[in-house]
Amino acid sequence: MSILELQNVAKVYGRAENQVIALRDINLQVEEGEFAAIVGTSGSGKSTLLNLIGGLDYPTEGKIFIRSRETGSLSRKELTLFRRRNIGFVFQNYSLMPVLNVYDNVALPVTFDRGRHINRKYIEELLRELGIWEKRKKYPGELSGGQQQRVAIARALVNKPQVLLCDEPTGNLDSATTVEVMGLLKASCRKYKQTILMVTHNEAIAQTCDRVIHIEDGQIVTGKRRFPAKGGDGVC
Amino acid sequence: MLKLAWKYMRYYKSQTLAIFMSILLTAALLSGISSLMYSSQKNDLANSKTIYGDWHYYVETDAKQLQAIENGERLGRSSQDGQPGQNGETKQGRKTRQGRQSGGGYRLRRYGKYEIRDVVSEEFPIYFIHADETYRQMAHRDLLKGTLPSKEDEIAADSFVLDNLGFSGNPGDSVRIGERNFVVTGILKSRWAADSGEMEIFVSGDFTGRGSQTFLYLGFDEDEKLYRQLDAFLGKYKISSDAVRGNDGVIQYLGGEEPAGIFEIVKFGLTEEEGNFTYIVLKLQSDYNLAYNGMIFLLCLLGSFVVYSVFSISVEKRTSEYGMLKTLGISGGQICGTLILELWTLFLVGYPFGCFLGNGVLSLVYQKFAGVFGGKGTGMAERGLSAADQTLAEGTDAMRFCLSWEAMRFGFVFLLISLAAAALLVVRSLSGRSLKEVMSGDTSFTRRRKIYALRPVNMAGVVVRKFMFANKKKVAGILLSLSVGGCIFLCTTYMAENLKVHAELSLKSDDGLGSEYRVSLKSGSLYDTIPEAAADTIRSMPEAKQVYATRFTFGEVSHVDELEWDTYFEYENADDYFIRRYGGICLPQEDGTYRIKYDVYGYDDEMIEQLDGFTLEGAADPDVLRSGNKIIAVALMDGQGNYYFYGKKPGDTITLRVPRMDAYTDELLRFESGEENYIEKEFEIAAIVSRPLAREEGFLQQGFYKDTLMTSLIMTNDQMEENFGITDYSFINASPAEGADTEKVSSEILEVIRDVPKAVLQDYTAAIRTRKNYLRQQQIFFSSVAAILLAISLFHIANSMNHTILARRREYGIIRAMGITDSGFYKMILQTGILYGVLADVCIFLLYQFVFRRVMDYYMAHVLQFLHLTADVPNQVLLGIMALNVAIAVLAVMAPARKLVRGNIISEITR
Repeated sequence: MSILELQNVAKVYGRAENQVIALRDINLQVEEGEFAAIVGTSGSGKSTLLNLIGGLDYPTEGKIFIRSRETGSLSRKELTLFRRRNIGFVFQNYSLMPVLNVYDNVALPVTFDRGRHINRKYIEELLRELGIWEKRKKYPGELSGGQQQRVAIARALVNKPQVLLCDEPTGNLDSATTVEVMGLLKASCRKYKQTILMVTHNEAIAQTCDRVIHIEDGQIVTGKRRFPAKGGDGVC
Repeated sequence: MLKLAWKYMRYYKSQTLAIFMSILLTAALLSGISSLMYSSQKNDLANSKTIYGDWHYYVETDAKQLQAIENGERLGRSSQDGQPGQNGETKQGRKTRQGRQSGGGYRLRRYGKYEIRDVVSEEFPIYFIHADETYRQMAHRDLLKGTLPSKEDEIAADSFVLDNLGFSGNPGDSVRIGERNFVVTGILKSRWAADSGEMEIFVSGDFTGRGSQTFLYLGFDEDEKLYRQLDAFLGKYKISSDAVRGNDGVIQYLGGEEPAGIFEIVKFGLTEEEGNFTYIVLKLQSDYNLAYNGMIFLLCLLGSFVVYSVFSISVEKRTSEYGMLKTLGISGGQICGTLILELWTLFLVGYPFGCFLGNGVLSLVYQKFAGVFGGKGTGMAERGLSAADQTLAEGTDAMRFCLSWEAMRFGFVFLLISLAAAALLVVRSLSGRSLKEVMSGDTSFTRRRKIYALRPVNMAGVVVRKFMFANKKKVAGILLSLSVGGCIFLCTTYMAENLKVHAELSLKSDDGLGSEYRVSLKSGSLYDTIPEAAADTIRSMPEAKQVYATRFTFGEVSHVDELEWDTYFEYENADDYFIRRYGGICLPQEDGTYRIKYDVYGYDDEMIEQLDGFTLEGAADPDVLRSGNKIIAVALMDGQGNYYFYGKKPGDTITLRVPRMDAYTDELLRFESGEENYIEKEFEIAAIVSRPLAREEGFLQQGFYKDTLMTSLIMTNDQMEENFGITDYSFINASPAEGADTEKVSSEILEVIRDVPKAVLQDYTAAIRTRKNYLRQQQIFFSSVAAILLAISLFHIANSMNHTILARRREYGIIRAMGITDSGFYKMILQTGILYGVLADVCIFLLYQFVFRRVMDYYMAHVLQFLHLTADVPNQVLLGIMALNVAIAVLAVMAPARKLVRGNIISEITR
């Protein structure tokens, strides 16, 4: 069953002479539980695609459906709520709140959605699973890159989203930590039946995913699907 | 570096504009307020010259000495006149020689001769004066009508003197003075104080009187310190400094006395028994113009503080970029140079514009509210002038706005250095951190090991508080800077309110309830009075209201056993006039007690009730006074605004002796005659007040002591009759009824007192109208200055808040990416604004209430010597300022919040 569908999506920045076509005619379907990698060179439009899917930016043309709901038809507030409940983000630069400790960083999105009703047991489970429970009182500035990315993953997972969007989550990490983080994402994907879209420019990492989507000059390059939609235990 | 600075200015347009605006406003404020104060002082000087005469010193001299001086000065001048142009001398060369030739160390601009040839004191004390043209110019005794006297029986005088002599008003008619008839040839311009003790009649050189006393009035070059020139002059002609009297009202602005060293002043104030903080302040004020110079310094300080604050907030945004520059190998010195160049470029453009703006706006304000300036609000007591007298003397001429180039130059240098220091401080703060820290922005915050999410909590609120209090020093700095403007506004308002009360009370106490008309006696004898019938007639006039008739007698308070201020009467006791007439003012007795001379007034009930505003202790209630035969005492006040009444309180008693009127002679005023000539009574003190209202002008409050010696006791008119048998009055105050023709009222009163010997009428109608207008304008002026300061403060608040939010835009971007709704985000920002506003309010309240207000109280009571500090900042103003602070803080945070919401989340979090 398709959880995500993009129909003729295009994104253009600027006007007239300064116009830059970031994405054009993107058509894509992603199945539920799929772990897909979006690969492309720098400036190919992969991050833009991820941001459009996540509702952080708006397409110039086309439609995006997530769980059969067209995101373009939602109001700003509905889109925010929809994003909060259905999509989790992991960024390359971690994007943690420097003034909050690990636990509070992870709990932050929950408080936006459920007010003061925080499932602390679940947060503890997440932190333990990600191996950062002992670091829960530490501030981001006191953690290593890998640890910070684990916190970012925990924060992305805390609302139990259906879709996890990861923008180069291993871009700032060394190879050992990269392997760790990828393992965690895959485990999460399996455990919580989540769909993961991960942007990377690292072909090797991409190859460990269920599916690799290649983007070049703002377009999906077809015919490069090398792995079946399901499976892909290469790394884990 | 210049290129880099220019690039930064162009790239960060809003920050550049904020810094530019802060410089512009600072320059406007500094130059405007300084010029305003400078103009005020310049006009004070001009007014003082009008009031006291355009001269600096006078010396009593004799014919021989006068001849020597005239010869010496004539010689100096003729040699000057002969020299210019000879031998192709330069102007500078001539100037130097002029100074040397005219006396070596002084330049006598002009001198005038004043000779008293006779005195008649039959009706009024009248002086027959022969003076030269220069003196008349110096004293502003211009000829208004007719000609100057040229024969022995010819005179000229001002209309006040002539009117009271019964002159017809037409030159050529004659008047009788003493035993002789004189022809009035001309009418001169009146003296500044129409009611001054001496009445002057100008006579020709042919007039021969019974004596001759000659004075030489000196006017030196005002570009040089006067005291140095005087010393040189006295040295040249071997004149003793004891023979010199200064025109204090004028020379105080021109360095008439040698200033003490600042170190000596401070040392004396701190170490000597007589010295204290007030002494230091007052001495610095008199010797170094503390109010003006201090204000310039404070404005410079405030200005540099605001510019630094705006600048540091703006630079914070680029911290990481400077970090990058450092990684590229650019030194801290070069970064500092870039910052200095950036600031100085903005300063060089902003400062002249600001000065132009400030001076331009305030010169308009100044011309519109001319009455506010020229020292018309305070300081009259020190000059011995009543508010109404001064207003009469000053007239309503429009005043000139003068630019304070001195302040602008000082401000320029001060701010130029301050800006360089600001850049240095910023660079120093950068160098204190590692390159990584600098590049990653502000990471300095307190790390508490507390997990907030373990309990039910509003995490948005936690984030707001964390953002705000992440760096306590920083937040304290921001709150302090946010509070300064509000505090200054409140202080200005507080002062304006109290100034209003002070001005009203001064007017009341100076000439008696601010009455338009005052009938008084030109006499120093208790024998002269205004009959009760005359007072009744004035009371019954339909066009007169608030007719207050005052009974007066002269008394002595005996058995004063405590005189803590033992030097208080030092000068009065040494005064020849007081010794001759009263046998001294404060006389120590063998038993260790003192006898002190006192004015004793009997007031109408309404006047006593109006003393309420001056009450220091007890209550001024006429019924209580009557029923218990109690008395109200006027406390002594020292030069620093402290009050004292021999350690006595309401409920204590005093013993008062007054001369019996049935066998009265002036000799009885010495209180040395037999006991049978006096009535002695003991009175309980009902209240102690700071000032009397309507005051006598012929006994203790003479000349120099007019507003300084106010040893007075007050009771009801009924008590004056019952205790001392006094039924007639000494002076009457009255006002015209609503809509009455003031000139008609004036002539009706004159008609009533025509047959009362020595009675004169003073008409203050125009003076009071002018004074009230001044007062209103003063309020507007202070409010305007407060509003300007508040506007600058609000600009600063808005700028700080704006940057506080924008400095966290990445974090806010993350929060938005985490799924906070727009309304949730606005709420969060709103919370920040309210929190800042409320905390700034708390800061303002605490600072104002516990620091600034107390300082102001001290300043107003002891330095400005306001009568009573009864007024407070109105609650509406206080609440208004607090609400405005919150509103501005909220608006200031909502504007960038809106910008953030409209912006792209991704671009925010990738910053």
